[in-house]
Amino acid sequence: MNRTKASSVIALSAVAVLGLSACGGGTTGNNNGDTGATGGAATAGGDLLYLTKRPAEHLDPQRMYIGRDIFTTGRTVYRSLFQFPAGEKDATKAQTPIPDIATEVPTSSDGKTWTVTLKEGVKWQDGKDVVCEDFKYGVSRAFAYDVLDGGPFQYPTQYLDIPKDKDGSPAYKGPYSKKGQALFDKAVTCKGNEITYKFNKPWGDFPLAVAGLRVFDPYREDQDKGAKNNFVIFSNGPYKLDGTWTKGKGGKFVRNDQYDPKTDEGTRQANPDTITFEEGVDESIITDRIVAGAGNDANAITDRVVRPPSYSKVEPLKDQTTLVDSPYVFYLVPNMSRVKDVNVRKALATATDNEGWVGALGGDKAAVAATSIINPSLPGFQENPIFSKIPAAGDPAAAKKILTDAGVKMPYPIKLTYQGGDPTLDKAMGVIKEGWDKAGFKTSLDPLTETYYDIVNKPNNDSDVFQGGWGSDYPSAATVIPLLFDSRQLSASQVGNNYGQYKNKAVDQAIDKAALITDPIKAGEAYSAIDKTISEDYGYIPNYIQRFYFIRGKNVTGYEQTEATSMFADLGTVGVK
Amino acid sequence: MYAYVIRRLFSGLVMLIVMSFATFLMFFNGAVDPVRYTCGKACGVPGVLERNRAMLGYDDPVPVQYAKFVKGVFVGRDFPDDPALRKSAPETIARCDAPCLGYSPKENSTVTSMLAERAPISASLAVAAFIMWIAFGVGGGIVAALYKGRWPDKLIVGTALIFYAFPTFFIGLFLYKFVAIKWELTPQPVYTAFTEDPVAWAMGLFLPGLTLALFYIAGYIRLTRSYVIEAASEDYLRTAKAKGLDKRTILWKHTMRSALTPLITLAALDFAGLLGGAIITETVFNYQGLGKLAVDAATTWDLPVTVGIVLTLSTIVILANIIVDVLYAVIDPRVKLA
Repeated sequence: MNRTKASSVIALSAVAVLGLSACGGGTTGNNNGDTGATGGAATAGGDLLYLTKRPAEHLDPQRMYIGRDIFTTGRTVYRSLFQFPAGEKDATKAQTPIPDIATEVPTSSDGKTWTVTLKEGVKWQDGKDVVCEDFKYGVSRAFAYDVLDGGPFQYPTQYLDIPKDKDGSPAYKGPYSKKGQALFDKAVTCKGNEITYKFNKPWGDFPLAVAGLRVFDPYREDQDKGAKNNFVIFSNGPYKLDGTWTKGKGGKFVRNDQYDPKTDEGTRQANPDTITFEEGVDESIITDRIVAGAGNDANAITDRVVRPPSYSKVEPLKDQTTLVDSPYVFYLVPNMSRVKDVNVRKALATATDNEGWVGALGGDKAAVAATSIINPSLPGFQENPIFSKIPAAGDPAAAKKILTDAGVKMPYPIKLTYQGGDPTLDKAMGVIKEGWDKAGFKTSLDPLTETYYDIVNKPNNDSDVFQGGWGSDYPSAATVIPLLFDSRQLSASQVGNNYGQYKNKAVDQAIDKAALITDPIKAGEAYSAIDKTISEDYGYIPNYIQRFYFIRGKNVTGYEQTEATSMFADLGTVGVK
Repeated sequence: MYAYVIRRLFSGLVMLIVMSFATFLMFFNGAVDPVRYTCGKACGVPGVLERNRAMLGYDDPVPVQYAKFVKGVFVGRDFPDDPALRKSAPETIARCDAPCLGYSPKENSTVTSMLAERAPISASLAVAAFIMWIAFGVGGGIVAALYKGRWPDKLIVGTALIFYAFPTFFIGLFLYKFVAIKWELTPQPVYTAFTEDPVAWAMGLFLPGLTLALFYIAGYIRLTRSYVIEAASEDYLRTAKAKGLDKRTILWKHTMRSALTPLITLAALDFAGLLGGAIITETVFNYQGLGKLAVDAATTWDLPVTVGIVLTLSTIVILANIIVDVLYAVIDPRVKLA
């Protein structure tokens, strides 16, 4: 999930994207052999240092939408109903929710009503119990998305059984205005230590969403100051914030004496005595500091990838590095309103040189060619039969034949719009252009900066192909395919996330059917089938999966990167010597 | 003198008003919709953009937004400016006292409080750099002038030019990566507030201050050198020398007084510019000063912060100009107040 926000950032900034080293979906066969080096068994004590360039945008649980922050805080200061198991090497198990504050992960016969029982003895940092009303209040805050913007509010606001206003927004406006409060009180109810959520349609992914996002986390009403609490942490986990958090600088977590590990499922080892987060440090500086390993830098971990210029410095430190696939898939999107001939789209896909692209980004430590919009780490993933047949380096000759056979006049002009400003990305786009031009296209590159997202969102824009990047919000293709290709998000004024304005009623119907499937594997298979349909229309062209090449300090122990934390270092297992 | 100062202040005020409106127009009529930065992926949900735009007050015409902005400068504002919310959940309202320069929805903070947090960092950096460049720049320039044409002159000017030739980001990265990290000759530069630990404050400022100072030193050496040489050739100084005045008095009492006037102007303006933040140096060393804030705001389309910084920097520069003009008249009586 958290994969999520990163994807939105990706949409906003390809430059940022390339610099993003968020989660990762390391899957069998994708690791380079470095993964699994944990630095030895972790023991309690010591000071962990977390170095990063990218500041946290929000630490308010209902506003968090970046995977790194979701899982970092989830292992340290925020607990929820469910969680993903720490240190679990099996990808499927790592993405299967286990209880956190709930006594068990419940099932729902109709997928619409979910009742969860809370454990006793879980406390906030001031010693008060975490109660049902805290969970109810927490999710109510998602409805005040004008005050508390930025979070994945669309899940509770679209699923909870609350009537909609004429403009499509929920009739309940959140706990601050309290408009429609009675409607919310019917949809979420508390009875002792049992909380019941009533949805307007089946939502089999509910436990996944709870474990993979923070939007369903509890929040204490008496601590709420709205947006002013953006960097305020009121903990119920094993750590608490010492002092204040300063954006761009970071903060320090110390032990929370109100945390009782007996109430946990044993996944939060909480080994270090303190965790210091240092934000705003440039990637190359992070690498240099960890390589040098002076002082507390020997206890450092990071979410930033090693960049290609630093590869030679890092390679001798094999026992301090990991290389895994991220959950982020990058792709190209033909504008269906302009590139209407499927043969032209097929030729574009056939001529796309993803191998060259990966090379331009820095080789196999930076990326790997993608063959589907769905990340292989997601449950139920099946190989895409259309794109997996195309050579990773593309086949311009075959593409030219497709155009010739279809009687397409060449050179066929293509305007490729992307978010520019990064020389590496410009270079990679040059590779794409070269392949396409060989096939009979006349490609013009259109790098945009801040206006990119505004331009691609206009239905009448004059671009033929865009670039996009996406990661699932939680481990389900339900947060990929519907969000990117459901045509019902298109309107006269904006295209939503469906940049290519893809319209296929069969796909829309299949999306509705897949949403009713509660078994995650079967649901994943259904979405893979939809992916195949979209691929037959060449509604997108898979590009690459970003890889995470991470380095950690020589004193770091118990280091794990699994799907449970979207391939970020798991703070539930990590320790320092 | 008083009339002159009042005239300059009035013209400065007019400049600020014009600049604020122009800045407002420019940024709030841009091609980018700042509301998009409030919802990310979820912007595609029906009604979200409109609701957030209304909450931020961005749905008002720009002149109305500007009028509210100006009002806030004098009487303060509440964010969100929603009477119903103020009544039902007053704890969620952020009060921005006068002079209120706006509210950043991205940072969930008033612009004035952000500026107040960052200003000491930039000011500290400016002071550290200023001390170094004045000490080495002016001092080096005087020595070079005194040894004109001889090896100390050539060594000082040549060395300074080498540093001047390298871009600031290169010097900064070199000092950070090699001096601090690889060779561990200095502690890693981390900003500590002066009130917390004056020694750590000074130590943390050494490398960033030096980075900035090295850029300025070369210029000041050359300027000081040429001003001193020029002043030393004045007829009245030759007369003083002929009358038997000692060298020290000639240099410090007569030559430097004349040579200092243009240097003060330049130093004051450079210092004022640095108070507004040293973008590259702050970015390289991750100093959360005004320069870094300006970059972050500009790259994330945080318009209220951008406007606030532009206005603050403008105010600093305008005030510095006025102060310099007045100082000019004090130092050199030949300067008339027109």
